[in-house]
Amino acid sequence: MLIDRTQAEEAIIENFLNSDSLPNLLFPREMREAAMAAFKEHGFPSRKRESWHYTDLRNKLTRISSYSDDHNDGRPILPLILGNVLFSVVNGKAVSNSVLPPVFCTPLALSPSRALNILRDFSITNVISQVNTAFASDGWRINVQKDVFLDNIIEIQNLQNGGQSHTCFSVSVAEDSRATILERQLGDDQESFLSSVSDIDLAEGAEVLWIIIRERGILSTELNRFYARLDKGARLKLVIINAGLHLLRQEVHIDLNGSRSDFQLRCINLLSGESHADTTMKIRHFARSTTSKEMIRNIATDTSCGVFQGMVQVLPTGQKTDAKMLCQSLILSKDAECHAKPELDIFADDILCGHGATFSTIDRNQLFYLMTRGLTFVQAKAVLVKCFIKEQIEGIGQEDIEKALHGVLDHWLFLHL
Amino acid sequence: MSARAETIRQVQEIGVDQYQYGFETNIESEKAPKGLDENIIRYISDRKQEPQWMLEWRLSAYNRWLKIKEPTWSRLQYPPIAFQDYHYYATPKNIDQNMLPQSLEDVDPELLVTYEKLGIPLREQEILAGVPEKDRVFSENLSRSGHVAVDAVFDSVSVITTFKKELAQVGIIFCSISEAIREHSDLVREYMGSVVPVADNFYSALNSSVFTDGSFVYVPKGVRCPMELSTYFRINERNTGQFERTLIIADEGAYVSYLEGCTAPQRDENQLHAAVVELIVFKNAEIKYSTVQNWYPGDKEGRGGIYNFVTKRGDCRGSHSKISWTQVETGSALTWKYPSCLLKGDHSRGEFYSIAVSNGYQQIDSGSKMIHLGKNTSSRIISKGISAGFSSNTYRGKVSAHRQAKNARNFTQCDSLLIGHDCSAHTIPYIEAKNAQVQFEHEATTSKISDEQLFYIMQRGILEEEAMALLVNGFVHEVIQKLPMEFAVEAQKLISISLEGSIG
Repeated sequence: MLIDRTQAEEAIIENFLNSDSLPNLLFPREMREAAMAAFKEHGFPSRKRESWHYTDLRNKLTRISSYSDDHNDGRPILPLILGNVLFSVVNGKAVSNSVLPPVFCTPLALSPSRALNILRDFSITNVISQVNTAFASDGWRINVQKDVFLDNIIEIQNLQNGGQSHTCFSVSVAEDSRATILERQLGDDQESFLSSVSDIDLAEGAEVLWIIIRERGILSTELNRFYARLDKGARLKLVIINAGLHLLRQEVHIDLNGSRSDFQLRCINLLSGESHADTTMKIRHFARSTTSKEMIRNIATDTSCGVFQGMVQVLPTGQKTDAKMLCQSLILSKDAECHAKPELDIFADDILCGHGATFSTIDRNQLFYLMTRGLTFVQAKAVLVKCFIKEQIEGIGQEDIEKALHGVLDHWLFLHL
Repeated sequence: MSARAETIRQVQEIGVDQYQYGFETNIESEKAPKGLDENIIRYISDRKQEPQWMLEWRLSAYNRWLKIKEPTWSRLQYPPIAFQDYHYYATPKNIDQNMLPQSLEDVDPELLVTYEKLGIPLREQEILAGVPEKDRVFSENLSRSGHVAVDAVFDSVSVITTFKKELAQVGIIFCSISEAIREHSDLVREYMGSVVPVADNFYSALNSSVFTDGSFVYVPKGVRCPMELSTYFRINERNTGQFERTLIIADEGAYVSYLEGCTAPQRDENQLHAAVVELIVFKNAEIKYSTVQNWYPGDKEGRGGIYNFVTKRGDCRGSHSKISWTQVETGSALTWKYPSCLLKGDHSRGEFYSIAVSNGYQQIDSGSKMIHLGKNTSSRIISKGISAGFSSNTYRGKVSAHRQAKNARNFTQCDSLLIGHDCSAHTIPYIEAKNAQVQFEHEATTSKISDEQLFYIMQRGILEEEAMALLVNGFVHEVIQKLPMEFAVEAQKLISISLEGSIG
């Protein structure tokens, strides 16, 4: 039982008491009250809670931005790639009018029954669900029909320039369909607090490439939970680039429920200033012959901190699993730090699982080599850092996306190295 | 017979839940009343004839223990331990703490037979070494002969320590911790609790309040210990807990290799073993600490076995100091043990080599911690876990480099092998880098024995069972190599016996 509440916890509770004045609350009152009851009991997690060991949210989150309508002009920004079909949420409200014929898309506020299906877990560790359920106001429901091969990229924008918002995205991809989804979490340098929950269902044979690009300001805090279930033969490739934020907790939960389903993760955390980015992942192999591969790269400069916690769990039904996990961190300044906790939790014997983790700084010999070729120190450093992370976005198989992602990386390198 | 053939033979001969050292020695013993309170602590201290400061230290530890919660974070599942149902002191009746045996002639023959049966022929060792006649050329002779000085601990007391006088000639103090508290009080007072503080954790506080015996080693400046030192722990009495305390100090430029072995009778109830081991290493010194842990693991239904809660920590205080932990864990129903190194001295080095074998319903939660504090420190962790039967085998480790630990290096490899459908393996490493000049590498794998490798070996005319044993031996070979010769053979046999019923 929590005894002393922090200022941030008091703010959350007070917001809830005044929530009747907030528009479009997505979930029924009973659900929201249950979520808030769980939050009141445990509050924001401190490092004493094992899954938050490296992200002491209770101490790091000193205040919560207030709700405000003043910070947004209410319009989405241009898509990252020309031709993308936009589904935007601005200041917690779905605003686009896009139509993509073979896909059923609707704002969640207009279809709350679908929102109810999103798995809600108010367990002690799941503070993201607690906060999101209590305050979620909108989001998108996207349903890709059976046997559809989408040529267009679905671009989900979650734009928040200051203030507070809580959103949900519910995506289902039916049998044997293919889709590419680009999720952009955007914001300016004003103080903001967001929670976002994505709930994804991939039916038998479905294939999805999901890219998350996060470019928020230096005062932004985001709690994000990405939960996907994969049926037989389904394939999900998730690419995450975090290129700006003050405090981030990105949770990735994947259930490989169907045999031969496959999950791949490529994650790049570009950390500068006082950023703290925590990528926490749990992959559960429930079915036979499932595969997963996760590669995480952290670049930490200034006084930033990169955290990776990953667990690959193979249940007794998950025989013939092949799982690999690798976290590599490059620490570029004396005050930056990185932590990793890659776990294997294995209950089946006929499997092949491995993980690796490395921490280091840039090799002086490599720097020297490049500088003898005429590059300045900064240029040489940028080349080596770029080489370290570019592998993550190669092999995506879509040239325009790779080009756009390279642009995001180059922009960050230009600003921070 | 080759080691491999021997492994196979033993596997074939011994039944599923056989435990080689499960016999009981029928010897009258004196026990403290059941339970734990301040009076019991006074009783233990009184029986050990300890100075007042030691009693106060114990009582302070007890009061801290009462306030600490039992840890629940490990992957061990067991019913609540009734700490008040144990005897915290048990000693063979004919051992008088006032008149401890000065030589093997004074030791109860029944005890010598017990150690003989355990493969520790104390008398034979001393005779073979020809100690009485050749005192003058001691170090030369003994270092050539490769003998081992043994401290034999039976329940709560050290019954004999061999080669004490001979070691004293080169300035090495090797005796039971009880004797050290009486005879070398200043040394013990200075160093005990300086690496594992009294209230470090629940079990260290318990141990600090009720520890009964264990070993004390002090190797003076520049001395290289001429023989292996060893302690053999035996729990014999029913319903007792054994609380060993070991303190080893290697002064500047010293070297010592210390071996530890342990067994217990086969019983249906669980017995408690909570130990604390502290190593202190000064400039240019080295301690090599090897353990073959073979407590009774319980029967095939999971009944009985030792609950083994151990806090082992080494402190590299001087520059270029080194600690090497090597362990083979095959016994115990529960193992909770994380040998650690505090790498404070610049250029200091920590090593941890471990084989943890679990079968039946055994549960192991073990690993190592390497805390890099000094500059240019390095560490290496090699952990091999083998799970069979219904067991659970967890590697839990931590490697951290603090702000000032520039150029810290670590390499960690933890591999798990699963034999059977009902066992599990878990790897939980914590890796923390708090400065830019670190180089940490960690890798872990979990798999079963490769079908391809098995097929390859069988293709050469080797039977499946032999091929499997060969692969298991190959899996742990890197760690076995780090064990002293005396233990390496025993360890290999133990592994094969522990996996009995699983191979093939």
